[in-house]
Amino acid sequence: MTATLEVTDLRKQFSIGLPAIDGVSFGVPAGEIVVLLGPSGCGKTTTLRCVAGLEHPTGGEISISGRVVSSPASGILVPPRSRDLGMVFQSYAVWPHMTVRQNVIYPLKHRKIGRTDAARMVEEALALVGLSDYADRPVVALSGGQMQRVALARSMVYRPQLLLLDEPLSNLDAKLRLRLRDDLRVILKQTGMTALYVTHDQAEAVVLGDRIGVMRDGKLLQMDTPDVIYNRPADLFVANFTGATNELAGTLVTCNGRYGVVDFGNGRQGEVALCQTLKPDEKVRIALRPENIAIGRPDGANTFSAKVLDRRYQGTQTAYGIELFGKRLEAIELGTAARHQVGVEAQVALPRECLWAYRDSGPASHD
Amino acid sequence: MHGQADRRSEAMRSASEGTRRRAFTGLWVAALLAILTFLVIYPVFMLLLGALTDTNPVVDGIRLSLSHLSIANFLAVLANPNVAEALLNTLIACGGGTVIAVAIGLLFSWIVVRTNTPFKGFIAAASILPLFAPPLVAGVAWAILGSPKTGLINTMFKWMGSDLRVDLYSMWGLVFVFGIYYAPYVYMFTSSALRNMDPSLEEAAEISGASPVATLFTVTFPLIMPAIVSGMLLSFIVMLGIYGIPAVLGAPTNLNVLTTYIFKLTNWSPPLYNTAAAVAIILMVVTGLLVYLQQKLLSGRSYTTVAGKAFRPRSLDLGPWRWLTFAIGIVYLLIVVVLPSLALIVAAFRKFMFIRDVASLFDMRQYSLTHFESIFDNPLTMRSIYNAVEVGVITAVVGGALAFAIGYTIHRTRVSGRGAIDLISTLPVAIPGLVVGVAYLWAWIGVPGGLYGTIWILALAFIARFMPDTVKALSTSFLQIHRELEEAAWVCGKGMLGTIRTIVLPLARPGVLASMTLLFVLAIRELGSSLFLYTSNTMVMSVLLLDYYEGGNIGKTAAFSLVQTVLLGVLIGGANWLSRGSAQGNVARTG
Repeated sequence: MTATLEVTDLRKQFSIGLPAIDGVSFGVPAGEIVVLLGPSGCGKTTTLRCVAGLEHPTGGEISISGRVVSSPASGILVPPRSRDLGMVFQSYAVWPHMTVRQNVIYPLKHRKIGRTDAARMVEEALALVGLSDYADRPVVALSGGQMQRVALARSMVYRPQLLLLDEPLSNLDAKLRLRLRDDLRVILKQTGMTALYVTHDQAEAVVLGDRIGVMRDGKLLQMDTPDVIYNRPADLFVANFTGATNELAGTLVTCNGRYGVVDFGNGRQGEVALCQTLKPDEKVRIALRPENIAIGRPDGANTFSAKVLDRRYQGTQTAYGIELFGKRLEAIELGTAARHQVGVEAQVALPRECLWAYRDSGPASHD
Repeated sequence: MHGQADRRSEAMRSASEGTRRRAFTGLWVAALLAILTFLVIYPVFMLLLGALTDTNPVVDGIRLSLSHLSIANFLAVLANPNVAEALLNTLIACGGGTVIAVAIGLLFSWIVVRTNTPFKGFIAAASILPLFAPPLVAGVAWAILGSPKTGLINTMFKWMGSDLRVDLYSMWGLVFVFGIYYAPYVYMFTSSALRNMDPSLEEAAEISGASPVATLFTVTFPLIMPAIVSGMLLSFIVMLGIYGIPAVLGAPTNLNVLTTYIFKLTNWSPPLYNTAAAVAIILMVVTGLLVYLQQKLLSGRSYTTVAGKAFRPRSLDLGPWRWLTFAIGIVYLLIVVVLPSLALIVAAFRKFMFIRDVASLFDMRQYSLTHFESIFDNPLTMRSIYNAVEVGVITAVVGGALAFAIGYTIHRTRVSGRGAIDLISTLPVAIPGLVVGVAYLWAWIGVPGGLYGTIWILALAFIARFMPDTVKALSTSFLQIHRELEEAAWVCGKGMLGTIRTIVLPLARPGVLASMTLLFVLAIRELGSSLFLYTSNTMVMSVLLLDYYEGGNIGKTAAFSLVQTVLLGVLIGGANWLSRGSAQGNVARTG
């Protein structure tokens, strides 16, 4: 029932401007949820729409279950309705002139499915999303969260081999988004469907995805399991986008397998993790999560003296601005107590596995 | 001590100021209501009276009419088979015309908004072009093209050796010409509805397995159904009130619709003013019902769905078929603009309309300026142009000022009585121009030494007729000015009138000017209400054109049609130019 998705060297060039998709390749094994994550304009939605057949790629190949559905080079372009996939849209796209049941049964009517079978499948789909009691309501009488559930039921009712979700939660309010996010993964896993999910919200991506692909400027930068994305980001952008917002600059002194020693200037040296193949004397940038800076706990080799510049108490955590090596860094201390005063010099420990060194490829590699 | 006295005198002064202001607003509302009663309520009341009596207002005067009130006259009219026939013809012609209009309007809105047809901007422009054609001129042009014996189309068919003949002097001709000229009303509603539709609603259908055609009929059209029905009703309403087209195409075969029938009644001798009033009431009731239905529909919940992000226009790739849709656009343009214009030009410059064969069509010796010379030899021609312009100027200035006063009172003040002002000033929406004419006839013909026979009765009738549109257009021009701009002036110490003079009018000027120019153009081309109100001294262009047509001289009719079209074209161009200025002003204001 569920299918694999294979995207090979996908390209999409609109009539003007840079390519929207610039050589993206990835595969999704059957039953897996892959999340495409990236800032707006990175090409993630265009990629999804190319898989759906709503957008026509200008290069590369897309195959679903081994069947090529799009290949400009060999002139293949299967229309969306023949690709046997389901899609959930950002704006729900439930049809306001129909009831919940009419919305959900619509795809079955175009698939030559008997009336009794169709009715049963609609009931099952509505039960899955928890809307059984709402079947005969007009959809305009539903809340945003319920509309999105209708859209989900409609996209799954015919058991498509592949489900595409285009920022399905971004139009919902924050609380509902959190609840539906967890529900969504349960429902998807329950049906065992292969899914491709697009979002710009990293928290959503981590919770939902079996694997996450981070995109930027039409390129797929890294595709891996959430913990690898979070603990071994492939480059500075991925590190920054997934929350490692601090950055230090230095020069690599020695390499030692996965780790190396970096000079931060004025002879201050520390040990870092090498996320790319780097050679001594190369200029490097180091990404560092605010949560991984431990203030006032001298521990291990990488302990430096820093000055607390400011403090913002946030209830369950406290954010500090500290000065280290002449740069301002953000640090976060968990817990409801704020322990450090503004203006004091404190010892900060930077664990080496949390300092990710990347090649310095010029200024402003990200914002 | 001293301060307290000051304060007391201040309090007294502001109290007396408050009384004065209340007196002024009371007077203001009363004045507006009086003007509206004079313009709208009184004529409609007299029309009603006329329908319910059997006396002649000219001979017997109002006094006697009042004493002869009875429903019998109205019932007699209802039982009259001629009235029933005219009503039936009207419903068939307008119904058929509406079907064609919906088909064309829907097709073009889909072509323009949803496909990759080449030169879409051009097709979009062609789709609304017929709005600018005066119905009488369109009727004349199609009479020249489609007359069963001498029509240019039949001449062409004969030359091509085809046995095909068309006859537009028929119900079919009426339906056809109605349909092609009133499609823009449907187009305007449906194209904007399509444009505002979230494209993912259609994409979802496509993903669900529906073919493009199935998507169109199960999702797209049902979703824009409110817009389709509104456009349909509006085009039906407009067709109901049109006189020019059925007058030209229906006359030769004695095919009457309500409008032409009403005019005939007043032209018999003795004129049957009572019957005309009763039939006019029928027309007004039908129109009123439809307008009510349409307003109800528009105020109801629409299906327009709002999403967070801006829509990327979704356009269907038609492949080679896009040249077919392009060709459809060209054919439409050919039918509504090019062919009629050519027909008018040929007829206007040709000495004799009899065309033996196609070779003679291109024989330059057959062409001359003789018809133009003869129409301008007629002193009535120049007088009718002069009169039309005079009526137009009065209507634009007086009507514009009145509409501004009404619009401002309704939208920007909280005076009591503004609800009544709003209601009465929108009432004429449901009154076809021709009915306004009959109502004014009834209102003033029996009043000796009054308005009847002057230019002013025409101007007042036009002001009343176009009041709802003018108020709406003018209101948008000052509703775009942020309220705070006015409040700032009040805080600075300007009074209400001072604020209007120094802030509102200067900012709204381009929009106000454009609305007034539009009113001017509408007044110049108005035929329906003029028919009953002109005398030989106050003859206006549109009526004289009808006169020429009924006189039977096609050459002169065509020549005068061209003169009018060119004049109107220049005026509409000017109006567009003015409103473009206003659009730029709006950008400056909001940006």
